[in-house]
Amino acid sequence: MQSLGGRPNIFPYLLLLPALIITLVIVAWPLVETVRLSFTDAALKPTENFVGFANYEKIFSKKFPEVIGRTFYWMAISVSLKMIVGTMGAMLLNSRVPGRDFFRVLVMPPWIVPIAIGVFIWAWMYNGQFGMISGVAQYLHIIAGPYEFLGDRTGAFYSTIVTDIWIGTPMVTIYLLAAMQSISPDLHEAAWVDGAGRMYRFRRITLPLILPAIATMGLLSAIWTFNSFDIIWILTKGGPRDATTTMIIDTYKTAISRNKYGEGAARAVMIVIFLSSFAGFYFFMLKQFAKRSLAK
Amino acid sequence: MKLAKILLGSAVVLGSLAGASYAEDQRIHIILCGDDTWGGEVNAAHMAAWEASNPGFKTDIEYVPWGQCQDKATTLAASGNPPAIAYMGSRTLKQLAQNELIMSHDLTEEELASYAAPILGTVTADGKIWGLPRAFSTKALYYNKDLFEAAGLDPNSPPKTWDELYSAAAAIKEKTDADGIGLAAASFDNTMHQFMNYVYTNGGEVINADGDIVFNSPNNVETMEFYGKLASVSQPGPVAYDRGKLVPLFNEAKIGMYISGPWGRSQTGDAVNWGVAPLPVGPNGTPGTLLITDSYAVFKGSGVEEAALSLAKFMTSTDNQMEFEIAAGLTPLRPDHPEVAKLREADPTWGAFLDAIATGGPEPFVTDYVGLQDVINEAIQSVVLGEASAADAVAQAAEDLEEYK
Repeated sequence: MQSLGGRPNIFPYLLLLPALIITLVIVAWPLVETVRLSFTDAALKPTENFVGFANYEKIFSKKFPEVIGRTFYWMAISVSLKMIVGTMGAMLLNSRVPGRDFFRVLVMPPWIVPIAIGVFIWAWMYNGQFGMISGVAQYLHIIAGPYEFLGDRTGAFYSTIVTDIWIGTPMVTIYLLAAMQSISPDLHEAAWVDGAGRMYRFRRITLPLILPAIATMGLLSAIWTFNSFDIIWILTKGGPRDATTTMIIDTYKTAISRNKYGEGAARAVMIVIFLSSFAGFYFFMLKQFAKRSLAK
Repeated sequence: MKLAKILLGSAVVLGSLAGASYAEDQRIHIILCGDDTWGGEVNAAHMAAWEASNPGFKTDIEYVPWGQCQDKATTLAASGNPPAIAYMGSRTLKQLAQNELIMSHDLTEEELASYAAPILGTVTADGKIWGLPRAFSTKALYYNKDLFEAAGLDPNSPPKTWDELYSAAAAIKEKTDADGIGLAAASFDNTMHQFMNYVYTNGGEVINADGDIVFNSPNNVETMEFYGKLASVSQPGPVAYDRGKLVPLFNEAKIGMYISGPWGRSQTGDAVNWGVAPLPVGPNGTPGTLLITDSYAVFKGSGVEEAALSLAKFMTSTDNQMEFEIAAGLTPLRPDHPEVAKLREADPTWGAFLDAIATGGPEPFVTDYVGLQDVINEAIQSVVLGEASAADAVAQAAEDLEEYK
């Protein structure tokens, strides 16, 4: 970069320097350190040795592939439902209904309430003996006796997803609502004058214009869901029989509960690789989609 | 001239600070779990007494919540900044010792003899004592006398054998609105603890004195089968329950029986008409219980190791420990102490917890306790959910446990 006088102008670089230093310290250094640890046998003992790819070989020789599959399945269901419910919620909150402002506030509590408190409430609701869901179901004669939602593998798996959707949907709703509000009403009015129906307007005007927002939110939601720890940990601790053990839970158990820092770091690196690949694929698809839209 | 004055002044200030720090007492950093409501005053008094006879040292207690205290001490030690003493579950001591993070304790013959032998088993590895027991618990069977009566059982004759236990649970389930027994099978540490009570009352073991995994035994297969069988007379979905979640069920008379430690007496209070009895005995066992101790571990690298060893020994010496146990409501570590007889006399329910000490067994002492716990819990859950036979589950667990011995 040169100044108008032709001399190199280092001032812009100086302005960037603090941000660069912060990024290096907060993001790059821990990442590099994690990668380094993943090639060592770091554990409780004060010394550590270089072990090459041994940690990676070890994790793939056990249940890790199963954990990876479960993580993606858990994430796919949760994110899909969050996006669908969130989009529907945003549409409702964007329409002219009485008390709209009140409903817009009402949608926020799952996001505002501290996650741990919200999850503890869900844990209580899932209880078969004292919980609300089982109680109501018994009252309505849907089930004959108490049902423990966290008491079997399938029940626990889907219960954690439901809680994750409850916590994650408000953010999707509010984000997409903001995107919808940025669309000029003139477009809808013009289409309406031309006789376009509600669904047609949504498909041909709203959806294409909020697509970038959906893509961004989908990606962010996928990353958050992939890394969702507290919901599963509080509800099931990864059980029963590993039915809710996702990659982040598996990493925590290895690195923190069992103090196998090297093996835990290898798992963390796998998470970074998966999320980076996922994000790359997602953006590639988005680009392709945008090209096709322009070609039409 | 002005600069010279500033430099001189700074040197004087720094010098006085250095002198002051040199004269300061050496800090003994102690991490304890929870808060000072359980024996805190006794702790403080004993530490003050030790400081008085050991000038130059100052104790500094840091209370850390139960969920984080052991992780904090371990992480500090692993990062090279250990506390001098930390309150640790004795099950972690072998792992800490193997990683050269803690000191062993030298006890005299007299000091060793003051403990019941099974208690020393909870802190001994490779012939060395790695922690001084500080808190101790045994388990017994709590039962609801009113539910026993409603089910046509004698409320003054609690089950003594596994057969009687199952029959009583089945009768309660069949003849009352309650379930027979509270069963813990969640992915949590006390699921394995609950199971170990059955292992030790049926002559089983996980790891023997030579350090060999002996989990795959006929006794343990029988125990696993019985645990699975109990699920048919327990509360629905035992996999969703750890021991703590059974307490409200017992207090609401939704289960007829459950196993817990002496703290269960105050947790239930007069919510129901309860009794407590020694654990029922399996077909191939003798009376027993799981012995769990938490200990004072002295960490290497604090710079005050010798003083910390001295302080830990002082705090857990016979009379001081007894005073602490009375204040904290813990099972006495030394059943022969004169105060124990008074405890029994004042509260006969202590009997169920004290009598089983002699034949109790320790938590399995391994190098990766969490790994062991996960393996055994996996076996328990597979049987309770009916997804594996007891024999297969025990065989698989025994194979997996080889990694952690």
